[in-house]
Amino acid sequence: MKVFRSHILICGGTGCHATGSGMVKQALTAEISRQGLTDEIRIVETGCNGFCAMGPIMVIYPDGIIYMMVQPDDVPDIVEEHLLKGRPVERLLYREPSTDEAIPEMKDIPFFAHQELRVLRNKGLIDPERIDEYIARDGYAGVAKALTEMTPEDIVQEVLDSGLRGRGGAGFPTGLKWRFAAQSKGDIKYVLCNADEGDPGAFMDRSVLEADPHAVLEGMIIAARAIGSHKGYIYCRAEYPLALRRLDIAISQAKEYGLLGDNILDTGFDFDLEIYQGAGAFVCGEETALMTSIEGNRGMPRPRPPFPAVSGLWGKPSVLNNVETLANVGQVIAKGSEWFASVGNERSKGTKVFALTGDVNNVGLVEVPMGTSLGTIVHDIGGGIPNGKKFKAAQLGGPSGGMIPVQHLNAPIDYEHVAELGAIMGSGGLIVMNEDMCPVDMARFFMDFCQDESCGKCAPCREGTKRMLEILTNICEGRGKEGDIELLEEMAYIIKDSALCGLGQTAPNPVLSTIRYFRSEYEAHIREKRCPAGVCATLFKSPCQNACPVGMDVPSYLALVRARRFDDAYTVLLRTNPFPSVCGRVCDHQCQSKCRRSTLDESLAIKFIKRFITDTAERPAVEAVPVTREETIAIIGAGPAGLTAAKDLAIRGYDVTVYEELPEPGGMTRYGIPSYRLPRTILAGEIDDIRKLGVEIVCNTRVGRDISFEQVTEDYDYVYLAPGAHKSMKMHIAGEELQGVFGGVEFLRDFNIDEAAWLSGEKSLGSKVAVIGGGNSAIDAARCAVRLGAEVTILYRRTREDMPAADEEIVAAEHEGIKIEYYVAPTEIIGENGTVTGITCQRMKTGDFDRSGRRRPMPAEGSEFTLSADSIIAAIGQSPDLSFVAEQGGISINKWDCFDLADGSKSCTTSDKAFAGGDAVTGPWTVIGAIAAGHQAAEDIDDAIRQRNGEPAWEGPADDGIVIPFEIDEDTEEQPQAVMPELEAARRKTNFDEVELGYGIDEAIKEASRCLRCDAEI
Amino acid sequence: MENKFLLTIDGRELEATPGQTILEVARAHGIYIPTLCYYPGTSTAGACRVCAVEVENARTLVASCCMPASPGMVVKTDTKRVLDARRMVVELLWASGNHNCLTCEKNGDCELQDLVYAMKIEVPRFETDPPGHRIEDSNSMIRRDLDKCILCGRCVRVCSEIRGNSIIDFSMRGSKAKITPAFYDDLIDSECEFCGSCVQACPVGALTFKQARFGGRPWEVQKVRTTCPHCGAGCQMELWVHKGTIGAVYGVEDTDTENRGQLCVKGRFGLDFVHSTERLTKPLIKKNGAFHESSWDEALDLVASNFKKIQEEHGSDALGGIASSKSTNEDVYLFQKFIRVCLGTNNVDFCTRFCHTPSAVALTRAFGGGAMTNCMRLSEKADVILVSGLNLTEMCPVPGALIKKLVTSGNLKLIIVDPRRIKIIDNAEIWLSPKIGTDVAWTNGMMHVIINEDLYDHDFVENRTEEFDRLKDMVSSYTPEKVEEITGIPGEKIVEAARLYAAADNASILYGMGETQHIYGTDNVSALCNLALLTGNVGKAGTGVNTIAKQNNGQGAGDMGCLPPIYPGGQPVSNSEANEKFEKAWGTTLSMKPGITESDMVITKGNIKGLYVVGGNPMRSGPNLNNIEEVMEDMDFIVVQDMFLTETAKVADVVLPACSFAEKEGTFTNTARLIQRVRKAVDPVGESKPDWEILCELGRKMGHEWNYSSPKEIMDEIASLTPPYGGVSYDRLDKGGIRWPCPNNDHPGTPYLWKEKFNTASGKGVFFPADYNPPAELPDEEYPFILSTVKELCHLHTGSYTRYSKALAELSPDDLLGINPLDAKKLGIRDGDDVKLRSRRGEIVIGAKTSGNIPEGTVFSTFHSSKIPVNVLTTDTLDKLGMTPELKMCAVKIEPV
Repeated sequence: MKVFRSHILICGGTGCHATGSGMVKQALTAEISRQGLTDEIRIVETGCNGFCAMGPIMVIYPDGIIYMMVQPDDVPDIVEEHLLKGRPVERLLYREPSTDEAIPEMKDIPFFAHQELRVLRNKGLIDPERIDEYIARDGYAGVAKALTEMTPEDIVQEVLDSGLRGRGGAGFPTGLKWRFAAQSKGDIKYVLCNADEGDPGAFMDRSVLEADPHAVLEGMIIAARAIGSHKGYIYCRAEYPLALRRLDIAISQAKEYGLLGDNILDTGFDFDLEIYQGAGAFVCGEETALMTSIEGNRGMPRPRPPFPAVSGLWGKPSVLNNVETLANVGQVIAKGSEWFASVGNERSKGTKVFALTGDVNNVGLVEVPMGTSLGTIVHDIGGGIPNGKKFKAAQLGGPSGGMIPVQHLNAPIDYEHVAELGAIMGSGGLIVMNEDMCPVDMARFFMDFCQDESCGKCAPCREGTKRMLEILTNICEGRGKEGDIELLEEMAYIIKDSALCGLGQTAPNPVLSTIRYFRSEYEAHIREKRCPAGVCATLFKSPCQNACPVGMDVPSYLALVRARRFDDAYTVLLRTNPFPSVCGRVCDHQCQSKCRRSTLDESLAIKFIKRFITDTAERPAVEAVPVTREETIAIIGAGPAGLTAAKDLAIRGYDVTVYEELPEPGGMTRYGIPSYRLPRTILAGEIDDIRKLGVEIVCNTRVGRDISFEQVTEDYDYVYLAPGAHKSMKMHIAGEELQGVFGGVEFLRDFNIDEAAWLSGEKSLGSKVAVIGGGNSAIDAARCAVRLGAEVTILYRRTREDMPAADEEIVAAEHEGIKIEYYVAPTEIIGENGTVTGITCQRMKTGDFDRSGRRRPMPAEGSEFTLSADSIIAAIGQSPDLSFVAEQGGISINKWDCFDLADGSKSCTTSDKAFAGGDAVTGPWTVIGAIAAGHQAAEDIDDAIRQRNGEPAWEGPADDGIVIPFEIDEDTEEQPQAVMPELEAARRKTNFDEVELGYGIDEAIKEASRCLRCDAEI
Repeated sequence: MENKFLLTIDGRELEATPGQTILEVARAHGIYIPTLCYYPGTSTAGACRVCAVEVENARTLVASCCMPASPGMVVKTDTKRVLDARRMVVELLWASGNHNCLTCEKNGDCELQDLVYAMKIEVPRFETDPPGHRIEDSNSMIRRDLDKCILCGRCVRVCSEIRGNSIIDFSMRGSKAKITPAFYDDLIDSECEFCGSCVQACPVGALTFKQARFGGRPWEVQKVRTTCPHCGAGCQMELWVHKGTIGAVYGVEDTDTENRGQLCVKGRFGLDFVHSTERLTKPLIKKNGAFHESSWDEALDLVASNFKKIQEEHGSDALGGIASSKSTNEDVYLFQKFIRVCLGTNNVDFCTRFCHTPSAVALTRAFGGGAMTNCMRLSEKADVILVSGLNLTEMCPVPGALIKKLVTSGNLKLIIVDPRRIKIIDNAEIWLSPKIGTDVAWTNGMMHVIINEDLYDHDFVENRTEEFDRLKDMVSSYTPEKVEEITGIPGEKIVEAARLYAAADNASILYGMGETQHIYGTDNVSALCNLALLTGNVGKAGTGVNTIAKQNNGQGAGDMGCLPPIYPGGQPVSNSEANEKFEKAWGTTLSMKPGITESDMVITKGNIKGLYVVGGNPMRSGPNLNNIEEVMEDMDFIVVQDMFLTETAKVADVVLPACSFAEKEGTFTNTARLIQRVRKAVDPVGESKPDWEILCELGRKMGHEWNYSSPKEIMDEIASLTPPYGGVSYDRLDKGGIRWPCPNNDHPGTPYLWKEKFNTASGKGVFFPADYNPPAELPDEEYPFILSTVKELCHLHTGSYTRYSKALAELSPDDLLGINPLDAKKLGIRDGDDVKLRSRRGEIVIGAKTSGNIPEGTVFSTFHSSKIPVNVLTTDTLDKLGMTPELKMCAVKIEPV
């Protein structure tokens, strides 16, 4: 046999073919021949490597170096550098997304490292069109053993002992199926292979057939021997041309080698195989429909009993196994049942192949031991979710499967656990979905698929799925009504219970599963006509507007900016948001994460444009609104929630008084957010506008101290409680009481009240500061500390991706020289003489997943270390201080120290005179969230009053008459977001000047012009 | 009994037999489980799911229609879970279509409506959303309104499983699924045979009979059970009659009927001839070459006086009568009695003379009786059936479908002998395609192989036959090589067929006029009898030599003695005992001289001066029509009694209007000896009368006091004089058909003949070896083609009434000449062209239809149309014993027009 110095394995799977591996192979062959290396280097086109997202894939042995996304242009480099000079081509190596570290060898890449390859053991390794390569890897050893050393009964027993279960999805014990068929009487029996893989996004079987077709043949021969069959069919969909071609080649080679046909291996056993091409009907994956199809009829299922093991194809005893099951069989026989059962868990043995697709970095084919957790598959192998989005759920089992939501990432994936969670194993399609997935829409999609693919034979499936689809479509399009969810559930249970075949019996699964885990989103669609995920397009004008908690009319003000009508733009901002200048600076801009432009290049810089408007345009003049109503309303807390409510109520003609404990109104925006992010004057201007309406803001007055809560409730008809969450949470470790230990918000508040003292050095953090936490407050505190001259380290117990702080804030902090230690948690604060001197920490390692889908940090024993520090700022979270509310007032407060809301209300507390909102209800959240809460409260209070008085609902102010222009570019060219000019890090570190400098007019217009105008109705 | 077992349904412990489904057990014990897709006789689909029940330990609900009952099973049919699911399905189905009962033909007879009502569903929870399928109204027979379709699939299963046709199937997916012929064609453009079984199977108003549209709702119609008047199968049908008009026609689904619910296009849609405006409504008398309406008295007086006159001037034997295979037994009985008693001659014959008489001769001399030895239902017992000279699916579609089904279910193998590649060959194991007129040769060839390979039934030959040695001698020279030379059938095919036939436990032979309408027709049938005797395939179920009568009462007319040499029941007129018996019974003296045949009456000039034709149409069915016309014109006086003015009636002097089958009482005897009732459904058209009434009046005019009160009384007389009918009475027939011989009241009837012995002198079956002889007229240079006349699905015989059906005319308007495309090309003829067809005897113009199923050198034509008298071409050379002309072949030439 000829010896080559190097083998180049080029993936020839369908995925890599699609990305151009054929051309790469051509180029490589040419280049190698040009360089005269033909005798030294052999090129092998393999089946699917599995790492389809990174195709075309090339692996070079003996080094095991893997190259990604190889293009023909890369070939000269590979030959020159790698093959001649022995230097891997750096730029083609895999880079770990989280660390950007290059990983040259395939075995070290997490995608491969966590897998256990059994079914796919030959993938990307052998040339699937050469039987010798399969045999060289112990191929057909199972057949040899089964035919020469074992009786049919032995074979059945071995398979039974292995615990192998049907990989097509139902998980029926393979050995048992064979036993039934073996026991059926008859001279003619059939072994059938189900290669009619039809789940959207699933391609396990295709890859096996493309990469290792002989493994399937081997399984079938053994099955045939076990049940006494002499004829088999592989039912493979015609849409798999490559698989069909390789099967054809494999069958003829096996015949040539005496492994198929008459007298196999001279044992006297005959078995022949034929391929039957399916025409693409999903239902033909159902065993009886598959058989009906082979018989030449329309593929429709038939009732069971009789079961195929008794009366299957043409009424003869038949076993039907899917590709993956059969691909396991050869090894089960060759290596024994014990070997097989050595991985997996109690009831699910062996491995399972998944086609990992959807919103996941490493799309591809993975094989893992049964019982591997979903989180491991999605995050470790899959590399997590792209674009910083969050994992929401994974659809397992194709269109008839179910969703496993984020709170179950730890679930072991095996037949039983998956079923408990309302999904099915299915054939192994695993679609990862991020936060942008709308469960109702997803259920609708799958139902549409099932309705399309229903064969039409049985009434519950044919008509029932149609009606369920109709209801789901209605919900998605805003025509949902009360009772729809219940009707869906009733129909789902009846269809599951009464449909003829597996297709119908499982079609309702996605609906049940999404209702189970995402009922509130269904309710939002039905009751509020709102799609929280921003998918159901009929329910909103544009995804950005839909994502905004107050529904800011983003496309309109972007259009006005483009048209240079900045004053009008400001008016549009103020329609829904009393603090656009604040939001233009510190908003968490959920709008931008839904911006459709991001699918092209980058999302619009909506926040920056908003700021530009407030910086550039003249704020519309505000006139006082006369008090026209008798009712008086007190608002406690002059933060964004309280002030928004005050404004809305004043506009409605109410007499509103706001009580604020601190010297100036603004709440967290004034005292939590440092001025380098939000200059004071800007905030003050917008608050002034509210005053001008006639709202009285009484500062320096703490309810419960300066005026009693009872007094307020007596003096006013209604109270709106919006005191915020201004109390830092304790770390509950030793030393927290020491001098020099601050709470995050307490520090920021003190700094903002007493700035002079801090700047003059009267108050000081010392030279070394440790900030604990990963939220925006932690970053704010750290960046303040830097500006006060300290050396700052942030200690965070999880990863950077897990940090709740805005990404741009983290980046800015890093630029300013702040060091961030990840996977670190404090265990003790050390002090001398009552003053902090340091902090002892522990390194963390990753544990399982918490309900939010983040890895739980677990202490790494013995990893303690101590940092010296002059101050510790603990910014690990805040809670409201609701001690001012009298306990007997009937206002219920929950265990998180937040107000409880009355059932069904969005702002009314358990007392019908008291409403509440903002952080005091939700816990620490966003400015825009607080503004939304303020709007909600004003509306609810007004509604309550009017309802009590029997008055009609309030009618808002007349239309402001602003006509929104519609102008878009004919062609859209890729163009990233306009960069926000900033003060240089070195300069800004020494002062509290605003860091972000704002767009100029040209930049703003150019940026606004990037808007795709999703709001347009064409 | 098989091992019965117990299971529990709704808390009741019930007995079940293995193989029963839950549904069957429940129904047997009076427990109601609704169904929609369930249709007995077809496979269970489990599609509609309304029969879902709860079975203990089952994962889901199960469809009771397809779940076998098993011992100890615990079933609940009325839990909330079951009822909710059922209700949901019914609501879904209701909402899925345009179920507007107001104008729906199935209102009151709709299974979905029944369920909705029983479940008290006022309105479904889902908005009605019909798919909006086009109503298919493309033909005059079946209306398909798919917006009313619930996709139960009954029509599909009936079409494929019972009819073996698979014209329609599911297409599309999900809620867009619909049932359609291939390529979404209209039915009329598909291969549909319009048997209408799909309509009968439809539980809702999706498929309806168009001729019944707005023709009476289910509760407004009178339902009359009767026997189909078309072919010899004897299908039982229920006529839905509203205000004197026959609308829908349903096959009677009782399992003891021959057809078990099935009908063919003729029975289903071809009964509208009854209401044809062209029916004769008054007697007609020809004066100066033109017909004039007359009173019955005048007409009958004229008939009586003319018959008497001829009798007086030329003697009784100058008179003759031709009966019809279409009339009832009572009518034909009275007819032959009229000829024998009133006209005093045995010159009585019927139309079978031109088709099947050689069978009677050959079967009688071999076995001692001329009837079909087995019956169609017993085909179920056969392993092999040899079908020869019989286009089964066109000739007798309902039994044809049964045989196709037996083949597809794997229990039966067919050997088909036919020069054409007829449809049933799709289902055949072996197809032998002989040259026309060489039947004796291939049959002898098969026997040669069987004897040579010692495959024959020694016991049977020894104990139950005689003259074996003669046979052996005769067939010894018929080696496969020789047979191949004569017949064109490859020798190995003969061997194969012989082995298959001989190896069967039960092998049956079905044959038709392809065997009999030859000058050696009797030899042909004898050869078949020899083959059956040689292999012991006579005298047991699923075997026999089975002649298939083309018409509804071909068997009965013979049984009733419409034959020149015999009285009813095959009693020879020349036998003095028989003669005495009938003289006594009929109270008159009778001639002992056997009469002359129809052939002698109408082919040979001068034999007959006065002719009485009831229902026959020799002017179209006879050979060499130009000659027959001459012969008939030469007669002194002709009376024709019929429903329509047939070509024969046109040459008559007096035409008497007769009733159709739907207007009278009576009986038919089907091809398999089954006597069944015909019942009056509508009043006679105009002044038309049942034949028996006309005959009675005429009898009285001829001086005989015939005062039968009803056909029932006539049947009683028949029973008293006809031994095989001895036990037949209307009282018994009203409970179901009786298969003769039925000698007495306690006799159950006879499914197959010759069980113990034959009716020959020795009691043994007699081999009548036949040698091959060439046909009368072979093609030559001048007349290079063989013409063979055949029949097709939609018409019968001369089309004398099927032509008057709108539906049948729509499907098959004209006779066509089938020709091989290669022949057509040589002659420069394209499909659809008119061609001139010429024989030594005459010429016609006919449309050509090319078909690769037709062998080169031979052309085939139907002879159903009045416009195209195909039989002007045919030869009147007769089979010597059967006196049947060689209608199956004559030499012709073809010229483009």
